[in-house]
Amino acid sequence: MELTVEQRWDLVDRIAKETIEIGEYEPTLRDVIADVTVKPLTGIPFAIAVIYGLWMFFSGFAGFFTDGFFVKIFDVHFLPWIQSVFPGKGTWLYYIFVGDPAAETCFESFGVLTSGLFLPIGVVLPAIVAFYLVFAFLEDVGYLPRLAVLVDGLLHKIGLHGYAIIPTILSLGCNVPGVTACRSLETRKQRFMMITLLGVFIPCAAQIGMMEGLIPHLIGWVFLALAIGYFAVGFILNKVWPGESPEILMDVPPYQKPTWRNIGRKMGTRTSHFLMEAVPFFLLGCLIVAVLYLTGAMDWLGNALAPVLTGVFGVPEETVAPLVAGFLRKDLAIGLLGGIELTTWQMFTSVVLLCIYFPCLATVALMLKEEKWKEFLATMLVLVVTVFVFGGLLNLIGMGLGTA
Amino acid sequence: MGNRSTFGSVYFAIFGFIVLALGIIELVVMGTAGLGVVCRGPLQMGGMFVGWRAIILICAGLIYLSSITNFLDVRQLGKSVVASIMIWIVAGMAIWARIAGSIPGGPEAGTPWFNPDFLATYGPPYMPEIYLLPLSLVILYFVARRRTER
Repeated sequence: MELTVEQRWDLVDRIAKETIEIGEYEPTLRDVIADVTVKPLTGIPFAIAVIYGLWMFFSGFAGFFTDGFFVKIFDVHFLPWIQSVFPGKGTWLYYIFVGDPAAETCFESFGVLTSGLFLPIGVVLPAIVAFYLVFAFLEDVGYLPRLAVLVDGLLHKIGLHGYAIIPTILSLGCNVPGVTACRSLETRKQRFMMITLLGVFIPCAAQIGMMEGLIPHLIGWVFLALAIGYFAVGFILNKVWPGESPEILMDVPPYQKPTWRNIGRKMGTRTSHFLMEAVPFFLLGCLIVAVLYLTGAMDWLGNALAPVLTGVFGVPEETVAPLVAGFLRKDLAIGLLGGIELTTWQMFTSVVLLCIYFPCLATVALMLKEEKWKEFLATMLVLVVTVFVFGGLLNLIGMGLGTA
Repeated sequence: MGNRSTFGSVYFAIFGFIVLALGIIELVVMGTAGLGVVCRGPLQMGGMFVGWRAIILICAGLIYLSSITNFLDVRQLGKSVVASIMIWIVAGMAIWARIAGSIPGGPEAGTPWFNPDFLATYGPPYMPEIYLLPLSLVILYFVARRRTER
């Protein structure tokens, strides 16, 4: 027997009447806290405090390990040691594995065994551990669904719903699980939009860690630029891409005490997954950049792209090396910017461009799996248009301010 | 009657006002000194995230002030608890930043691995949130009292 929607609701009402007893209920303190943190007037300030806490923990943790210990281990001890013991100084093999023999930091050396190891272990690993630790904690406590409720209205304006915040936050750790989490969205339109927005505008923790080391004073502006792009492109995609964006009912679980074992396990699994995936790409990225330098291909690419890089984006042609490396890992690309002489505005523009110009290879592979060809090509088109519009706009703003 | 606590109401009215005032002062400091650090006696203000801290303190202060009537009513008490958690987050992160910054000896060659004078880095001046932290813990008394009464 098939029921109409009205009949089904009638049935629900009848079952509810027979099974639910309505009486007075005194909410517990936990209920009230759950309620207060979901109401916009009190929930938004609380969310700001939580995000502030997440960020401060992240930067303190990453700074403690990276600036406190890893920079010293790699730059003061490891780099001089490998520069002296690696045979064949001046040969192409030396250049590929150790990098520039005159380099004083692993940021500048560009070698497979120097930059290729320092960036994923010394810079990215602490950032990843810190992010996943806090993320797992918030997940376990039950705060994330409340955040979803809070941003529901805002995300509805771009055709998504509150739960789209989960893939977004997950992508702040790594784009790969973020793209996978888009499966939970209802329609193909929402999945396409979310994957596109994640791939273009959400930097992963590794990238954020690099930014934190390279441009700590500009990071807020980078996020502001990315957030504007996220909502502007989302708004346009919602208007032009066919499909539905249905309403959903959200189930918000009660707050609970975190289980430290769960948190440790989740953090461990995600971190090891990241390392297995990222380290080979870092090594390969450094290898390709070194080979391109050695064969002169990088100079050729620099000359070929110079009109676009300097003319449209206002950055020097040397940024072509990070752009090439960025096809493999964007965090590596941002790390490589540290070895190039740039003005503050050029650094800001370069970092924003690197964030949006192409997702890392692992994310692209997953996009191909999750999207249809038409959707994938549309994502790439959005990406190209966004890069030119954003890059051009930033250059114009920089010129207007006299800082470009 | 059961929902009223003169001590709770008065204490959190004064405390909420102090939190609100410190938030506004942090905003003023940001307006005058930018992102630079300003020290006045045992108080340290400013820095890179001063704007965010100011917003959080102002909101926490307002939430405290909105909770002072019928203070022991669970809905009102809940608001004060949330405002206190906001203070704990900001103060906790200020303490965490101090600990994380005090232990390493420095990235340069020739410096020790660990800072031999790390205890000295824990002295004043402190950020306002650190002073607010112990005062906000009074909320735990009311939470415990409610639990025993129930």
